[in-house]
Parts: sequence; structure tokens; C-alpha cells
Amino acid sequence: MGKLDGRVAAITGGTRSIGRAMADAFLAEGAKVVVNGRTEEKGQQCLAEMNAGDNAAFYAGDASKQADVEGLVDFAVDHFGQLDICCLNSGGIDNTAPVAQMTDEEWQLELDWNLNQVFWGMRRALQHMIPRETGRILVTSSVEGKLGKPGIPGYTATKHAVDGLVKSAAHEVGTLGITVNAILPGLTETDTLREKAPETAQALGMSYEALIEMFTSASAIKRPNTVDEVAAVALLLASDAGRNMTGTLFPVDGGTMPY
Amino acid sequence: MGELDGRVACVTGGTRGIGRAAAEAFLREGAQVVITGRDADKGQQALEEMAGGDNVHFIAGDVTKREDCEAFVQGTVDRFGRIDILHANAGGAASPGPVAEITDEAMQETLEWNFWHTFWTTRAALGHMIPQQSGRILATSSVEGKLGKPGLSNYVAAKHAINGLVKSAAAEVGTLGITVNAVCPGAIETDSMKTAGPGAAESMGMTYDELKSMFSEASAIKRLNEVEDVAAVLVLLASDAGAGITGSLISIDGGTSPY
Repeated sequence: MGKLDGRVAAITGGTRSIGRAMADAFLAEGAKVVVNGRTEEKGQQCLAEMNAGDNAAFYAGDASKQADVEGLVDFAVDHFGQLDICCLNSGGIDNTAPVAQMTDEEWQLELDWNLNQVFWGMRRALQHMIPRETGRILVTSSVEGKLGKPGIPGYTATKHAVDGLVKSAAHEVGTLGITVNAILPGLTETDTLREKAPETAQALGMSYEALIEMFTSASAIKRPNTVDEVAAVALLLASDAGRNMTGTLFPVDGGTMPY
Repeated sequence: MGELDGRVACVTGGTRGIGRAAAEAFLREGAQVVITGRDADKGQQALEEMAGGDNVHFIAGDVTKREDCEAFVQGTVDRFGRIDILHANAGGAASPGPVAEITDEAMQETLEWNFWHTFWTTRAALGHMIPQQSGRILATSSVEGKLGKPGLSNYVAAKHAINGLVKSAAAEVGTLGITVNAVCPGAIETDSMKTAGPGAAESMGMTYDELKSMFSEASAIKRLNEVEDVAAVLVLLASDAGAGITGSLISIDGGTSPY
């Protein structure tokens, strides 16, 4: 018997990296899962790799667009009949301009991708969960939801904002059988990181390893986290065992954050 | 296959309450477990109820004494050959009172019960874990390790101190395969709370029922937590999946703590 038998999950940015690890973990525990990503091709590849048959589905959409985020929630409900677990996981660093040079357009894109996505998805999911008096909202935040590094003001501000949104929403629905939590990973070695970081490292005049070390030196474990470490926490929060944890900013950061 | 197959755990204050739930969860996941407590009769009763056969063992002793704390760790190693998981769990509030009135003895006893016991057992356990380059230290802190209620100064100070100890120790052993974390539960109506709660309530100028309401009203879920909520998080932190989480103060409080 799985810990999520009979549950339905939807995951923004679920075809790779942390979202994909969550999808795999949920499927292994008996859930049905809708993963989301921008390109149909990656979605189909993901479904093939997950090999979960009718228990997995893909919804193509851009997590920085309201219609697509709401469309994912609606699709999960239509396709599997309900939505129990909504993972608002997509997001990232789109721009590394310092505040003094950031344009309004760049700022807006960070807000749409990292913050508004979470709001749009959470609102739509709660509208479905509140009448059923059951549900789990999981938001992938970041250590930058408590800290702040130079050059990523949009990412830092939006991750702080989703932490606040999680705490408010948790109190609004706390007696309705719905929990709302954020997971705050440290630097996590994902497919995306492995793809993009070498180029960033080169631009900074350092090796990939030196770049990773720059980020992990602030941790106690002196290594990046893994997607499976994040997925294990997501599974706990999504399961019955997590029913009394809400409004929590759960760190998975190898001892980086001071609180 | 259990998540803790082959591991050996020592749980202080393991005959009842959170410690008992943790010990049972560790057993279920395949660990061998030592529980400790002051009263040999209660220890035997717990062993019978847990029905873990040779996989569970009781050591009698008083956590407010250094020799006993060190004997718990050594006794675990003597009995099962090693120690992989220390759950420094015993604790409570002895003769609570406002700062202006609390006696040295009440402050000292509470610090020994909570903080010194955690320090003594952690130091002793690290003596085994550092050479084996693996281990998990788990401390039962409290929502009062992050907040502060009037009339509970000794307990609040002791739990804050535990949180600081956890963060320092985590940074010291982070690259050695050892994690150090605290769980911060909200109020749980354990046997020990039923015993100590009325006195604490009186110190805070209210009835025991009012005390319970005060804790549940501050949460999002408007009810107290349960020991199983905490045990589930402890299993995650103790398992391989928890390898990337250290120095963390995990709130299991239904949305009470602000961070």
C-alpha cells in the first residue's frame, strides 16, 4: 500500500529536476500525477521515462502565464477527477541584473514566473480543495527565500514573497484539512543546473566545480543537495503523516540558513 | 525493507510521549532501539507494549545526570554494537515561573533536563559517530525554542539553547556524514503534558484548558499536534533521505511559529 494511494497531484515544471523527482516519488507511492512543462517533446519523453501508464499525464504550458497555470489545475481535475496535491514548483533565475540595472520588463518576468505562478496555481487549487475539505499545497521556494545574494534580486524577492503567501494561506485554510507549505532547498544539482552552470561558470572565469563550491561553501555539508532529498520532504508533507504541518518553511539545505 | 534497516537508535525519554512514538516508528522501519527512562517499571511496561523482542532494550537512568546520559550512549553501543541515531528527547519544564520570581534551582533543573542532557548525550554519541563517519543526532526542541511565553522562561531558554547547540554541531560535523537537527513541535497532549501542564498553566495565570486553547488558537489548524506527526519527521531525518538536511529547526506545530 502506498502513502498516496488514490491521490492526484499536479506539478508545475514537473518534467525534470526537482519537480520530476517529486513526480517519481508520488507515483511510487500510488498517486496519479500530472506533470507540466513548456515543450510537448520533453513532456512525452518524461512520460516515457516515468513509464507509469495511465497514472501519469502531461500538460503543456508556460508556468509564467496565468491561463496555463490555471489550465494545469483544471486539466488535473478533468483528467483524474480531483486534485489532492498541487506542487507549485516551477521557477528559477531568469535574470542576473543587479537592482540598479534591472528593467521593469525583466522584473515583471521574475514576478510572473516565481511569484504569480504560485498565487495563480494556489488560488485555483484552493477553490477546488476548500469544498472537498482536503488538500496539500507544496511550494518550491529556496534558501534565497530567507537569505539574499547579489545579482539575483528578482529571484530573492519572489522567493521571500512565496514564503509569505504560504504562511497567510496556511492560516486561511488550516481548519479545512488543507495544508500549505514551502520547501526551501539549497543549491540542488539538477539537470537544469548541469546544463546551464558551465556556461555561467565560464562567464565568471571559473570552473563548474568552483562555481558549485562557491554556493555550497555556505552549507555544513559542503555539497549540493539532491533532488531526491527534496522529493522525500515533499512526499512526507503530501502524505497523511504531514496533516498537522502547515505554514512551514521546510529547509533542505545542508545547514545553510540560520533559521 | 525498512528505511532504517541495520541502524541502531537511542531515544531518551522513550517510554512515553514523543520518544515512545519515535522508538516505535524507528522499530517499524527496521532499526534496533534503546529507550531510556527514570522508572524501571515503566520501562518494562513499555518494552512489553512495544513487543519488539530483542530489537528493543530499556536502560534506566536520569537524564539530569551526566553519568546516566553517557551510560545511555555507551549502553546502546554495548547492547547493539554501535549507535547510528541519537534522539535526545527527554525534557520538560520544572517549576516554571516568571523571570522575576524563578528560583536558581528551577532554572538549573530545567537546563539540566533539557539542554545539558542534549549536550551530554550528543557529545557522547559524536564520540562514536565521528570515527564511523555516519550518524544522526535528533533533538526534541519545541515551538518554544523559537518563540517565548511568559511564565515559562526556564523551558523557553533551554529549548532556544538546544537550537543553538544543534546549529553549531551541525556545522562542525557536516562533512562527516553526520547530521544534527531539532524538531520543534507545537503543544501535544502527552502524558507528560497532562502531568506538567496544570502547573505551567498556573504559572501563566490560567487553567489547563485555557493553556491548551492558547496553544491551539495560535496555530493554523486550531488543534494540538500529535506524537505521530513528530515521529514521521524524525524517521525522514534519520533515514538516508535526510542526509542533506542538517542544522535545521523543523517546525511541526500546525502553523504556529513564524519561521
